[in-house]
Amino acid sequence: MRRVRLCLVAIAALLLAACRHVAPYERGILAHPSMTTVGTPGPAEAHVYSVHEGAVGGGGAAESGCGCN
Amino acid sequence: MPRVLRTLAALAAALAVARAALAQTAPGAPQTEPTDGGPQEERAPSDEGAPRAEEPIESDAEAPRRERVIEAVLERDVEAERAQLEALRGGCGGPERAINVRAGLEVGAYHDDVGVGVLTPSVTGHVDNPLSGWALDARYLVDVVSAASPDIVSTASRRWSETRHAGNVGGRYQPGNVGVALNATTSYTPDYLALGASAQVNEDLLAKTLTLVQGYGFGHDVIGRAGTSFSAFSRELDYHTVTLGASRVVNPSLVVGVFGDLVVERGDQSKPYRYVPIFSAANAERIGRGEAAETVARLRSQPRPLEQLPLGRERGALTARLALRLPIAASLRLEERLYLDSWGLEASTTDARVIFDVGSRVMLWPHVRFHVQGGVDFWQRAYVGSAGDLPAWRTGDRELGPLASTAVGGGVRLALGSEGRRDDWLLTVTVDGTNTQFFDAVYVSSRLAGLAVTRLEVAF
Repeated sequence: MRRVRLCLVAIAALLLAACRHVAPYERGILAHPSMTTVGTPGPAEAHVYSVHEGAVGGGGAAESGCGCN
Repeated sequence: MPRVLRTLAALAAALAVARAALAQTAPGAPQTEPTDGGPQEERAPSDEGAPRAEEPIESDAEAPRRERVIEAVLERDVEAERAQLEALRGGCGGPERAINVRAGLEVGAYHDDVGVGVLTPSVTGHVDNPLSGWALDARYLVDVVSAASPDIVSTASRRWSETRHAGNVGGRYQPGNVGVALNATTSYTPDYLALGASAQVNEDLLAKTLTLVQGYGFGHDVIGRAGTSFSAFSRELDYHTVTLGASRVVNPSLVVGVFGDLVVERGDQSKPYRYVPIFSAANAERIGRGEAAETVARLRSQPRPLEQLPLGRERGALTARLALRLPIAASLRLEERLYLDSWGLEASTTDARVIFDVGSRVMLWPHVRFHVQGGVDFWQRAYVGSAGDLPAWRTGDRELGPLASTAVGGGVRLALGSEGRRDDWLLTVTVDGTNTQFFDAVYVSSRLAGLAVTRLEVAF
C-alpha cells in the first residue's frame, strides 16, 4: 500500500509540475492521432489481455463479462 | 498556423530592418560601408546628397516600388504556407463535413500452444457531427472458439467449439466543455449471458488543457451450463464499476493521464466445468510445477470437487498513461497499471509503443507489454483435503495464480485514401506474440500465444 501511495504522489507530481499554459495555436502536435490518453489496444487485443491477465482496469468503458477463462 | 505566424513575423522584422536601412540612406544621414578588406570608408558630411558611384540612385519615387516588391515577396511566402497547410489538412479529411460516417471491419485470429484457437470477426459503425458535438458508435463481434486445453483433456473431455456473440452501442454528446457518454454491452453464449451499461461524464477545464473523467458502469451476468437451460441451472453475478480520471496537457508535446477504477463484484463466478483435483498431504508434495495430467490423475484423491470462489470481490486499478511527441516524427505511448483486489492478487502491467510516422500515409510501431502478478490468497498448486474436509475456496484458473507474461509485437497503419482524403481508407495490421510463465500451476508451466488483427475503416 505504501508503494501505491508513493506511485500516486509521483504521478501527481508529474501531472502538476512543469505544466505550462498551452495556447490553442500551440496544440497542432496534440492533434496527431497518436497523441491521446485513450487506451491503445483494439477490442480483440484488449479482450485477449483481459483473459490472459488477472487484472482489470484502465480500459475506459466497462466491458461485459464472457466467462472466457 | 504557427509556421505562418513565425514566417510573417520574420518577414515583418525584415521589412522593418529594410525600412530602417532605407531611412539611413536618406540625405543627411552618415553611413559606413565595408570595402574589400580595406578600412571602412566613412562618408564625409560634405558628401551629403552626392550619390556614390557604386550605389544605385534611391529616390522618393523608388520607395513605393520597393515596398511593392517586399509585399509581393511576403504574399508569395504566405501562399506557400497556405498551400502546405491545405496539403496537411487534406491528409486529415479534406474540407469539413457536417456529419462523418465511418464503418469498420476487423478480423482477429488467436492461437496458442495449449490448444486454444479463436477467430474473431467484427463490424463497427461510427457517426459523428464534430460541430454539434455528438457521436454514435456500434460494434458486433463473433468469437469462434475451439479449445482442447489440458484442463479439458484432464477431465477426459473432447475438444469443444463454441460461438460467442457480443455487441455494444454507445453515444456521446459534448457541445461545450461538459460531455456525457453512454454505452451498453451484451455478450451471449449458450451458457453465459452478460449485460452491461455505463455512463461517463467528461469535463474540459483550463482552456481544455485539463479533462476530468467520471464514470459508472453496471453489469449483470447469468452463468449457466452447456446443455442446460438458464431456468434449470444458473448463477448470477453483478458488478459495479466506478472510474475517475484526469488527463492533462503538460506542454505542446506531452499529455499525461491518470485513471482509477474500482470494481465491486457480488455473486458466484465459479466455473461450473472446472474440477479441482484434491490430494493427500503426502501426494501434494509430489505435484510439481506444470505436472502432467496423467500424473495428477494418478496421485489425486477420490473427491473431485468443482471450483469454488468467494462470493464477493473488490478490485482496484490505477492506470497512468503518457503520450509524448518526439522530435523524430514519432510518438511515445507509455502505460502503467497497478492492480490489487480483496482476493490478495496484486499485479503490475507496463505497455509501451513508439509510433513512427513514415511519410504522410504510414504509421509504424513496435510494441512491448509486461505483466506480472502474484496469486490470490487461496491459490494452491495442489489442494490438500479429503471427502469430508474440502478447502472452502479452491480454483484451477491459472490466471488467478502467480504468473508473468511478456508480449512483443508491432503494427502498421496505412492511409489509403485519395489525396486530400487520405484517412478515408485506413488499413491497420497488428501482430503480437505473448509468452506466459505460470509459476505455480499444474498441467501447464508456460504458454506461447499469437494474435494477429487486421482492421479496415472506411469513411463515407
